[in-house]
Amino acid sequence: MLYAQILVNGLILGGLYACIAVGFSLVWGVLNVINILHGSFVVLGSYVAYFAYVHLGIHPFLSIVLSGALLFALGYVIQAGLINRVIAAPVLTTLVLTFGLELLLNNAVLVAFSADYRAVQLANPMGSQIIGGIVFPMERVMATLLALALTGLLYLMLAKSKIGRSIVAVRMDPEAAALMGVKVKRIYAVTFGVGALMAGAAGSLLSVVFPISPLNSTEFLGIAFVVCVLGGLGSIAGAMVGGLALGVIESFGALLIGPQHGLTIAFSLLILLLIVRPTGIMGRRGYE
Amino acid sequence: MRRSPSRLSVPRLSASRLMLPAAIAAGLAAAALTAPAAFAQETIKVGAPLPLTGALSPEGLKQQRGYDLWAKAVNADGGLKVGDTAYEVEIVYVDYESQTPRAVQSAERLITEDEVNFLFSPFGSGAAKAASSVSERYQIPTIAATASSPSVYDQGYQYLFGTFTPNDTLTTPLTDLVLEADDTIKTIAVYARNDLFPLAIAHEAEAAAKAKGLDVLSFDEYAIGTMDHASALTLMRTRQPDWVFVTGYINDLILIRRQLADLGVAPKVLSMIAGPAYKEFIEAAGPLADNVSSAAWWHPAVAYDGDDIFGTTADYVAAFEAEYGATPDYAEASASAAGAILGMAIEAAGSIDPQEVREALAQMDAVTFYGPVKFGETGQITSLEPPVFQIQDGTTKVVFPEAVKQTDLVIGGIK
Repeated sequence: MLYAQILVNGLILGGLYACIAVGFSLVWGVLNVINILHGSFVVLGSYVAYFAYVHLGIHPFLSIVLSGALLFALGYVIQAGLINRVIAAPVLTTLVLTFGLELLLNNAVLVAFSADYRAVQLANPMGSQIIGGIVFPMERVMATLLALALTGLLYLMLAKSKIGRSIVAVRMDPEAAALMGVKVKRIYAVTFGVGALMAGAAGSLLSVVFPISPLNSTEFLGIAFVVCVLGGLGSIAGAMVGGLALGVIESFGALLIGPQHGLTIAFSLLILLLIVRPTGIMGRRGYE
Repeated sequence: MRRSPSRLSVPRLSASRLMLPAAIAAGLAAAALTAPAAFAQETIKVGAPLPLTGALSPEGLKQQRGYDLWAKAVNADGGLKVGDTAYEVEIVYVDYESQTPRAVQSAERLITEDEVNFLFSPFGSGAAKAASSVSERYQIPTIAATASSPSVYDQGYQYLFGTFTPNDTLTTPLTDLVLEADDTIKTIAVYARNDLFPLAIAHEAEAAAKAKGLDVLSFDEYAIGTMDHASALTLMRTRQPDWVFVTGYINDLILIRRQLADLGVAPKVLSMIAGPAYKEFIEAAGPLADNVSSAAWWHPAVAYDGDDIFGTTADYVAAFEAEYGATPDYAEASASAAGAILGMAIEAAGSIDPQEVREALAQMDAVTFYGPVKFGETGQITSLEPPVFQIQDGTTKVVFPEAVKQTDLVIGGIK
């Protein structure tokens, strides 16, 4: 029973991790941009959810629409206005650019909202359900399920819609896509916008789980990075598998070796995996 | 490239910049009307090496706010009166960039080059201990506002005084109170952030519990930056402790409080150090904050009627809020108290001679807004009884010590 509970804890946590990472993975895979801004996008999504709930009474699970739309717009503008100018440069250049933007954005958020920790206090907390002796914290469970649903929608969008096919085409061969009439720079901006949208939506969902502060952005970025490398870059399935694996490994690591070593175990396995299978669990596959 | 520590000093303030609460403003007006104009104006310098940048900068900036408030209050009151002379206070800051070796150099430079009359110690026990050898060598009275470890004070030094009692003075009264309130409490589980102060406090809690015959079911540590506590708390639930004692900072404690509720861990007593001392914790944890107990060296809810420049605790809190728009915490209050104590010692000595001020500090027996002040043989404060408090119906209530107690500790009610 203890192990079942730890497995459930790990899967719920892993779902949240996957949700944090999927937008980061998309941007890295399609644009070859390591988006250091990603953690701050998640934090901004949480703030949108917080203020929408406190001032407008909109439930954080509904404000994903609002935070997603706002973050999409922000992401689109940043890519179209700034990153597209250096997109052809080596990956280090875009990394430095997003790093600089992250310093600006994170400090702006600090000035605007202060470093004080806030939390969404739901008027009607969902509490926990006990099923077969296993505790399911319902807010976390719902956040994880919605995160999975959103990720499924992203998958469908990439597989079925015209714009999704364009993103996939640009990822596979930007020059051939341009010859087929795809406006590559616009697709870059849309992709970055979608990455930010997923981060913003994740932020809304996480606002019912984690305390909200600009200081969390580095933790979120770190998780996104590890999940992508663990699962394999540039695929939704990779982000899902990476997130769930990290959550479960961390949970069992904490149980078996002690809570202070949960992350140590996860990172040790990451290093091991990088040695034996550098492409990650799912290998390098496309969004097709 | 090595950069020399930047030097900042608080300028004497123009009247237009002063935003003081009514009490001090009224005092100033009265002083202006009644004081003889014969006071000669001079300045005393107090050196303050602080970590204003780097990892410890949040703590350094807090101490700076505490010292600045004291200097402003004293100068608004016409300065420290010594015989026929009124001394304005100037605090000379040196940023030691969170590097302890540089704190020691900074202390020495403040004494030899800036010729400060007195010194406030750098942040925390380690740096305060390191710098204390310098002030001892030059015989400069020094007050440490944030050093709790007895090992800072047991070096046989004559010129070092400190406003924090040892860590066990937080955990022992809490343990006594809990067991007095409910003698059916037999077991405790400790969960600690693997970080200097949180871990030290957790070990004190473990020692205090063992000394009272409690069965310590578990002592677990979690890493800095941990974003999930489900595994540790699931294990804790299987052990069914009567009392859960958690240490960490505010973000950890909000998350842990939520996960305890999520997983249905509901002990009879839940104690957390050091988040509940802050309003943010109550706001962020909401109803889950209720009945969480904690302790700190000072809390705005204590009520002392001080003989110092700030007067009552409420006056001090009002002055702080008027100046900074925020409620002071124990580190800020301790820094202001260090200033207030130095000011009282100078006035009691009737001199700014280091030896005489040192004697006045050693013999001090007074009440301040911060609490009663009397230093032991080693220079560490012995009179202060750090408050134990509990959040009840969304507000913080002091449950110990007797002198400022507002209500009794409630057992149970942890959701």
